[in-house]
Amino acid sequence: MSHAIKKESLPEFLESLKKNFEVIVPAKNASGASCFQEYEGQELFLSARTDFSPKKYFRPPNEKTFSFTKETSSYDIAEETDKTKRVIFGVRPCDTHALDALDELFIKFLGEDGFYSERRKNTVIIALQCPEACKTGFCTSLGTSKPIGHDLLFIERGQDFFARPETAQGRALLDKKFFRSTSDAEPSTRIKCSKELETKNLAENLHKNFSHPVWAKEAERCLSCTNCTQACPTCYCYTTCDDFEFGSNSESARSRLPDSCQLKRFTLVAGNHVFRESRTARLRQFVLHKLSYYKKNHGKQLCVGCGRCISACPAKIDLAFIANTIQKEALKQ
Amino acid sequence: MTAPEKPEPAEITSIVQDTLDTKTFTVRYLDKERQKSFRFVPGKFMMVSIFGFGEMPISISSSPYKTDSIKFTVVNVGNVTNAMHGLKEGDLVGLRGPFGNGFPLQKMRKKNILFVAGGCGLAPLRSAIYAVQEKKQEFGKVFVLSGCRTPQNALFSGEKEQWKSDGFNVFSTVDKADSGWKSNVGLVTSLFPKIDLPVENTIALLCGPPIMVHFALIELAKKGFKDEQMFASMERMMQCGIGYCSHCNIGDKYVCKDGPVFSAKELKNMPVKED
Repeated sequence: MSHAIKKESLPEFLESLKKNFEVIVPAKNASGASCFQEYEGQELFLSARTDFSPKKYFRPPNEKTFSFTKETSSYDIAEETDKTKRVIFGVRPCDTHALDALDELFIKFLGEDGFYSERRKNTVIIALQCPEACKTGFCTSLGTSKPIGHDLLFIERGQDFFARPETAQGRALLDKKFFRSTSDAEPSTRIKCSKELETKNLAENLHKNFSHPVWAKEAERCLSCTNCTQACPTCYCYTTCDDFEFGSNSESARSRLPDSCQLKRFTLVAGNHVFRESRTARLRQFVLHKLSYYKKNHGKQLCVGCGRCISACPAKIDLAFIANTIQKEALKQ
Repeated sequence: MTAPEKPEPAEITSIVQDTLDTKTFTVRYLDKERQKSFRFVPGKFMMVSIFGFGEMPISISSSPYKTDSIKFTVVNVGNVTNAMHGLKEGDLVGLRGPFGNGFPLQKMRKKNILFVAGGCGLAPLRSAIYAVQEKKQEFGKVFVLSGCRTPQNALFSGEKEQWKSDGFNVFSTVDKADSGWKSNVGLVTSLFPKIDLPVENTIALLCGPPIMVHFALIELAKKGFKDEQMFASMERMMQCGIGYCSHCNIGDKYVCKDGPVFSAKELKNMPVKED
């Protein structure tokens, strides 16, 4: 037995969730970009994957890691946590895979990063299957076209959304007021991206072709604008910053701020030495981190094939093109 | 909740001005039990917080056998080091760690040891030198070669005399001498002819600027050192020390958790020189 909800009931359903949760939905922002934001009855953006992923609800752009207050003989150091209960509606399969990949590093790797894992635990994810493949995405090549680790899955069909619960938390959302039982077969979730990425021995082949001319050729157009790392649903690199309040007993704090490997200062050390001086080196770091290093260290690809880095790039640099260029030659040998 | 980036407060108990731009800070945790249980392997580093300015990775330069306090030798070269240099005795810093793998003390047992230091690279090596000094009978001959820019930049000059009297072969060089300088002039590699050791039974530990480590490894290899016998401590930008922030990536390795000490063999498979 499956469940279904009428599309027209969706606003009311989302509104009802606000009783217990902060409800996050995909919608357009003031400048026309589609992103995730708090639900306030606005028109939803459900026609395609959003320009920005819901990353900010797990790795916020300014995350306080602890506050400190100078006292007479010591510092009072306190950590802060975000305990907000959230429902994020409309998370695309690629973005659920992005969270799954980040779980490897921030939960399973060296012990938990409490900030990330608390948010993860307190968030209910309603995934939304893509009815068709997007232009820049290549999720079907990477096996990320079906959602993972979500609580509830919505699949569009005609005037309805089919709803398939995966966890108790997801099942708890199936309020009879909005959802009816149906014996209809679940609609197909199969899509096929026109863009492809050959994944056979991908991590090894890219690593072996560290000096391939394609890196320099593509990086020639790079503007180091960092659009790719901002749009990427898995880019997590950060820098830290002390926000200092003057005066005794005033509370200061240290925060994590997003950083980008596309900037020179990312590898700047004392004495003004920069380890990745050229754009070639920095672009290569981005691509290899996504498609080679992370896989080797954590067993999962850090790229989920959403194609956001490609659509966000003003210079039309294409991660899949770079990888395929190397793959074509490597697999021929 | 686990907040891995929360530092513990520690007090600066003494400050020694080593050179014009370098100071050694002795630091003790405010939590006495924490200081009591503190242990480390030479070559490990700690994330040192100067509240209001930021955090930085600093190698421990004190002896692993004297853990009632921790010493950091810090050159004033950036924002946070500059802030630290402005502190006085009794001021507080924050500590996290120790992090990293440290020098391979097990592999060093019963071997001759060659230390090669460039500039403040002598600081993390000093911790390993102390470890060897403490258990002299367990090691063979010891050579300490160190280079720096000018005689005014020479670190631990007084202690070098002590090491000599303990039977260590200590040689220093400067890039640019002054009238009072009586030792060698030239890069640290120019001291290599003085190495009088059976190479096959020797372990070399290196720490210094990237360019120095690069050429020192090449020159040592010419003398017959194998890749498995040479270990270098690497420097990278770090924001977390625990493998999260990704600033210290060299290829698929993290300097903070896989290093900072890598064998020359490992370094050959890492894109150390990226451009």
